[in-house]
Amino acid sequence: MTAAITTRSLAKRYGNLTALDEFDLEVTRGGIFGLLGPNGAGKTTLIRILTTLMRPTSGTACIEGFDTASHSREIRRLIGVVPQENSLDRYLTARENLELHARLHEMPVTSYRKRIDELLELFGLAGRQNDFPDSYSGGMQRRLVVARALVHHPRILFLDEPTTGLDPQSRHAVWDYVKSIAGSMTIFLTTHYLEEADQLCERIAIMDHGKLITQGSATELKERLTGGALYEIEFGGNADAFAATLGNLSCIRKLTLEGNRATIELEHWECLSALVAALAGNEIRRISLKERTLEEVFISLTGKGVRE
Amino acid sequence: MSMAGALAIWRRDMLVLRRSIMSEMIAVIAYPLTIYLAFGIGMQGYIGLVEGIPYSMFIAPGLITMTAVNAAYSESVWSLWFHRRVQFTIESYRVTPVTVSGIVCAKLFSGFTHGLVKGIAVGLVISLITPFRFPPAHLAVYLLFLIPGSVLFSCAGVISGTLMDKPETIGRVEAVFIMPLIFMSGLFFPLSSYPQVIIPIVRSLPTTALFEGARQALVSGNVSFGFLILLYTTALSAFIAAVWIFRRKMAE
Ligand SMILES: Nc1ncnc2c1ncn2[C@@H]1O[C@H](COP(=O)(O)OP(=O)(O)OP(=O)(O)O)[C@@H](O)[C@H]1O
Ligand SMILES: [Mg+2]
Repeated sequence: MTAAITTRSLAKRYGNLTALDEFDLEVTRGGIFGLLGPNGAGKTTLIRILTTLMRPTSGTACIEGFDTASHSREIRRLIGVVPQENSLDRYLTARENLELHARLHEMPVTSYRKRIDELLELFGLAGRQNDFPDSYSGGMQRRLVVARALVHHPRILFLDEPTTGLDPQSRHAVWDYVKSIAGSMTIFLTTHYLEEADQLCERIAIMDHGKLITQGSATELKERLTGGALYEIEFGGNADAFAATLGNLSCIRKLTLEGNRATIELEHWECLSALVAALAGNEIRRISLKERTLEEVFISLTGKGVRE
Repeated sequence: MSMAGALAIWRRDMLVLRRSIMSEMIAVIAYPLTIYLAFGIGMQGYIGLVEGIPYSMFIAPGLITMTAVNAAYSESVWSLWFHRRVQFTIESYRVTPVTVSGIVCAKLFSGFTHGLVKGIAVGLVISLITPFRFPPAHLAVYLLFLIPGSVLFSCAGVISGTLMDKPETIGRVEAVFIMPLIFMSGLFFPLSSYPQVIIPIVRSLPTTALFEGARQALVSGNVSFGFLILLYTTALSAFIAAVWIFRRKMAE
């Protein structure tokens, strides 16, 4: 089966700056694929190459088996694009924006009228369809851009940071819409938000400095971070008193003491009973399993927090 | 090139023009009308006849032509710049099947239509307030000049709007190139006012071909084939250059 997106040794240089470096990626058809990376990682550069807006310096990129270098027109019929910056026409109403897009895709009037009605309804914009985008909130504008990208029934939808700058409510609204349209097409989205990738994407790739660092499902990525389980124990008194006791346990991989708290990384969760036995008789207020977050995966791989 | 896509973009521009035309008209007409009243009527008594016709009649064709080509240039330059740098609409067109040539041709044609519509509006207003009537045959010949003229200025606008990223540069080009070229091309005075040595140079300017040729056509119905050839070849070259420059910019 042809992959939705394939890149081979894809590179893009702006003068001396390498924005994309020997990038190899394969995105299978269907589902939501998330590309996660800090500012300047090269996400937009990759999307611009995949959507035929920009030529790579070297390497190849294929969309549904079509090479971006030689078959850009065929590709543009298949893709829907939500760019990082809203590119709405502020001199056209919301509906006219969608109509223009349909005409650019050479859709017949009879079919696009119905499609636009459906989309405006789906994205909650039907009541405001004759207003100009300037009078829309940021969230509504974003939804309109997503709706526009869907008018011609694309097979692959590219979303470049679909929710950056939106408040949590609007963000959740966009997530719901994206989830509701997934399934019928391949969705490729970039984001800074780990929560977004975690919530939406079946597969996640992490990139920085133009390079692909790792990929997998959210769970796989979290597991790959460390084989061990992380626990936090809160004592009645100062945790330092238990340093010796805990230090003697062979299955503790890493131990951090701070105030009345100890953070313990175990080789595997079976060691937990040994740990509890060793601490028996002491005042323990709470033992909790610390969930790994994608943020930790991210920091461990890119060496820094996400810069929003 | 996709005709359907280019047509869609042109229709979009016409829709926006239809919406703004009434509020824009006052500004479009005010400038040439002021000049016409101040020079054509106010100064007429001092100037008398120029090339055998009253001064107000001498400058009327040029004012109509100026309005048209200025409108064509402004529309193209601002529209290209705005859609490329501010709204990113050009980018939203470029991820659809419309070709880059389709986009640039649509924008050229929009600039041209703006020029024609606004030129005709000024022509109508001037004809309302003056006693002169130009025969329909003269008007038809005049269009032979006005059409390539508007195309030429629309191409110049597309080129400027493609190359210039800063809005202040656009204003400078207008002040340094466009306006002087228009004013020096025999809009307000006959070419015979220039020193002998300069006349051949001025006559070789495409803007002279446009303004002189258009006036002769409108006033006397004469067609200067030399001017006509110069104007059409320049317009064609400008068209090829505009498409080429825009395509190169988009391929960056
Ligand atoms: N037109 C350009 N000219 C020069 N350098 C550029 C250009 N576009 C991007 N860059 C550089 O390429 C690198 C990657 O940029 P890109 O926009 O792809 O990153 P990104 O991951 O999308 O970042 P963000 O999360 O901020 O949108 C950055 O260092 C950026 O400064
Ligand atoms: Mg980006």
